[in-house]
Amino acid sequence: MNQANVTHLVSKLKFNIRPTPRRLKNKDGPPGRVLKIQKTLTALFEYERIELFYNRADEVRGYAERLISEAIRRGPEDHEMMDLANFWIIRKEFVHKLFKVYVPRYQDYSIAYTKLHKAPRLYPGIYYKRAVLELRGNPYPSIEQRNAHSNVLLHNLLLSEARKEYRMEKYKEIAESMNEREVTSQ
Amino acid sequence: MHGALKMSAAVGRVLSQQMRQSLKVLKSLAGKKNRCFSASVPIPKEGSVSNNEQKSVNRGKSADPLECRFMYPEFLPDPKPEYRNSLREKLERADMMARRSKIDIPEFYVGSILAVTVSDPHAPGKSNRFVGICIKRSGCGLRANFILRNVVDNQGVEVLYELYDPTIQKIDCLRLEKRLDNELLYLRDAPEEYSTFSFDMEPEIIPEGTPVPVNDLKVTLKPQPWLEKWERKDLKGVRDIVVNQKREMKAKAALKPWEKYDLMKIYRETIPEEEQKEIFAEVYSDLHNLEITRQKMKRQRTFIRPKKSG
Amino acid sequence: MALRNTMMNFSSRAIHTSAICNQIIKLTRLRVVDNSDIGKQAMVEGKPPKCIHIYNKIGVGYIGDKVLVAIKGEKKKGILVGLKQNQKTKVPKFDSNNIVLIDDSGTPLGTRIHVPIPHILRTILKNKTHAKGADYTKLIAIATRFV
Repeated sequence: MNQANVTHLVSKLKFNIRPTPRRLKNKDGPPGRVLKIQKTLTALFEYERIELFYNRADEVRGYAERLISEAIRRGPEDHEMMDLANFWIIRKEFVHKLFKVYVPRYQDYSIAYTKLHKAPRLYPGIYYKRAVLELRGNPYPSIEQRNAHSNVLLHNLLLSEARKEYRMEKYKEIAESMNEREVTSQ
Repeated sequence: MHGALKMSAAVGRVLSQQMRQSLKVLKSLAGKKNRCFSASVPIPKEGSVSNNEQKSVNRGKSADPLECRFMYPEFLPDPKPEYRNSLREKLERADMMARRSKIDIPEFYVGSILAVTVSDPHAPGKSNRFVGICIKRSGCGLRANFILRNVVDNQGVEVLYELYDPTIQKIDCLRLEKRLDNELLYLRDAPEEYSTFSFDMEPEIIPEGTPVPVNDLKVTLKPQPWLEKWERKDLKGVRDIVVNQKREMKAKAALKPWEKYDLMKIYRETIPEEEQKEIFAEVYSDLHNLEITRQKMKRQRTFIRPKKSG
Repeated sequence: MALRNTMMNFSSRAIHTSAICNQIIKLTRLRVVDNSDIGKQAMVEGKPPKCIHIYNKIGVGYIGDKVLVAIKGEKKKGILVGLKQNQKTKVPKFDSNNIVLIDDSGTPLGTRIHVPIPHILRTILKNKTHAKGADYTKLIAIATRFV
């Protein structure tokens, strides 16, 4: 049993987090884990969409969200905030990008700032689960494939109506031809 | 109004007993409970005058309920997700408020000097008073506890009390102050004079509205052996900790300089601001209610007495 | 290589990694807190008594339990009157493991106890006192202060 730490005030994250952190196994131990997160975080802020192993993506997602939310809370004037950004983002230009691009972009967001997609595994290849981690509102086309056969989509609706109409016409034709045949036979 | 509160307190107590028995019954009762509270909430909102009345409870408080988190850390639930249960937390808060309406639990911090009177079946007078410095506060909800330390007849004594223990008769804060650290467990390895306090100490009065004083006393530890590896704890309240080279190297190897940047660790150890606001908004209004009822009771008592004598 | 590894493991296991639980077991060093001659001398000489037996069925001494101690080459009995171990709420925990030396009938050897005694000891010792056996009321009587 423990008490909540009240020295830091944090904003609530908009997605479910794991109760325990992952270790991100590596030969350097905990500092190596931090380095892995730093690298991935920098890459995410550079490219806005990256493909990687699921474990690492899920772990980095929390850090990315927390860094953006702290940047929104505190702003670039705060010394501790700058320290934090410099620690997690290895390349200086993306610290600027964080405050100049991402903070204005996510200021009014009421949903999570990032999105994690499950990606297919490579075959033959390493068996680990893969994922795509992206920042929302990025300039790339969406990687989500809508279900092309959904009944809700307009073209499917029109097509089904057209099909129905065609079928009705066909039935009418058959009925008429049958009537004609009866008439001629009598 | 007082009757309603009393009833709600009673409901809260019943709830805590039934907690284990059936969730269904609980839920319906919890609904009742909410209605009780919502009926009593509008009163403090009527005027900001009640802020002045409340000062005796919340010294140096601001209008922001979030500032309560330093004063009442036990109202925040355990951040571990496996221990979270919103219904249980709500009921516990209700029980805590019910207890607070019975005895006055003062504001105190680690480093404050407290006097606790408990009913003790073992003591000859059936009550026992202990004075000491609070060296640790932990636990949340009804399980919140604190450790008092004192040196009596050159013998260090520590007693663990639960904050909401029904046997506690009275808690007095004799000296309200903070120290440089969140835990003063190193006083166990410090010379006796740092944790010696007289049992007949007079309570010190701090003028209202002033912030809680921080005592920047630096302690020199006794020579080794120690109970813990204090050189690794980054203690601000301890003057020059000297250890041999091997221990120093090991302490250096055990350093975790990245921990203060670990955003998710910080997040997992605390309750997010939005939830804190929700919790303290609820408690804040209840504290107002308590203070108002207490004052009403006082007025009633003074009004009744002349009638009786006449 | 394997041998070296096992040796390394062995040497690293020489340090304690778990927190101490401060239990009173056989060979635990205790502190005599009464003014009996033998107890005072032992403490002054820096040879505190060692617990060599605990008179209960679990072999771990708790508050109010009777222990047999080896003190200055003699065997004496004592009562545990204060423990370092974490206690239940409202029961005081002390900075040292204190005993008061007694004789076979439960009468203390000294005439004064110079440290505070927990209130709960009154009840515990009262329950352990029997008309024909041990009588611990004198021990409570010589205590100077209770917490």
